Amino acid sequence: MSSTLFEQLHRRAAIRVEFQPIVSLRAGERSLYALEALVRGPRGTNAERPDVLFEYARRKGVETTIDLICIGEILAAAAVLPETVSISINVHGSTVSDVPGFAQTFLSDAAKHGIGPRRLMLEILEHRGAWTMSTFRASLDTLRDAGVRIAVDDLGVGASNFRMIVDCRPDHLKVDRYVVQGCSHDRYRSAVLQSIVTLAHACAAVPIVEGIEDEVDLQHVVALGIDLAQGWHFAASMTAADVTQLPFFATTNERRFLS
Amino acid sequence: MPACGSPVALWLPVTKRLLIVDDEISILFALKRYFIRQGYAVDCARELEEAEALAAHTIYDLVIADLSLSGAGSAEGLEIIRFVRRHNHHARSIVLTAYGTPHVEREARRRGANAFLAKPQQVGNIAQLAKRLMEGEL
Repeated sequence: MSSTLFEQLHRRAAIRVEFQPIVSLRAGERSLYALEALVRGPRGTNAERPDVLFEYARRKGVETTIDLICIGEILAAAAVLPETVSISINVHGSTVSDVPGFAQTFLSDAAKHGIGPRRLMLEILEHRGAWTMSTFRASLDTLRDAGVRIAVDDLGVGASNFRMIVDCRPDHLKVDRYVVQGCSHDRYRSAVLQSIVTLAHACAAVPIVEGIEDEVDLQHVVALGIDLAQGWHFAASMTAADVTQLPFFATTNERRFLS
Repeated sequence: MPACGSPVALWLPVTKRLLIVDDEISILFALKRYFIRQGYAVDCARELEEAEALAAHTIYDLVIADLSLSGAGSAEGLEIIRFVRRHNHHARSIVLTAYGTPHVEREARRRGANAFLAKPQQVGNIAQLAKRLMEGEL
């Protein structure tokens, strides 16, 4: 009870993991593209809110430590998911660049949990100004060569800018919910989304939109040519056990019926 | 029943939100319990970074902060007040300290504290002061 929040975060199983579907909308059918792992801090603490958890980690200068704890917990939690399911994991760019042997350790830890690299996507986010570019690129190359997909996370807000795209050379651009929510009735949000679609195509990347909460926004992003989406309109985040009960995990025939 | 389209939400009372920062859990516990019973929304933190992480994502109407979270001579409480004010210029503040001197109090007020209380202090005294600050009486 008297320990600091940082000490509590180090306790075994302090970090809880939930998963939220990233849904493919190709050819008018909804299917599961990947599950994004979302972490929550210890129950009853301020870090139960993920925004506070990561803001706290950054202010304490321990984002790398917290990243590594989270990745360990996520891989353990994802071990029970079906082998056909891809898992998307958030990581700070500074962790990728500054942790010696990050790529090899990540791949090896995933393998220990029975998760092959082609099932993995890393969403790179950054709130610090700079990282060591040579090690960052080398680490991403190792991951990409193994089959891990790379995404730029939170595109459109904070430090997730054009430089991130240049540095990461991503397979996916994940557009932040701030840009997405309300896009159907906001010409500025819609224009930003349209420009991201153009940018993504020019970079041979595929856009993913976060924060879809209603059918109107969903239909709008589909009309803009975006066919990977995530948000409460499809499902909230939930435990690994619960997420496998979603319609996406049903057989093809059952899925047609459910959609 | 209000007429269709009337702005019902505007008539609902707005819950004031407090941030209480102290390294002593007993003080946090007592103040949080008191203010929640009074109908306020309350967040608590024990460290500078924890308080700032909360304030980076939340607008607070009042902050009650221990001046020194890492021992005599430190002044994290004033940093927290300044940080909260960056997000809400109208936020009011109370500084608590066990190391109060007239010089420290003058410095705290110069750096934005609205009120200054020596520790130990009865919860009732802190609560009364907080209420007066939030209602604009001070």
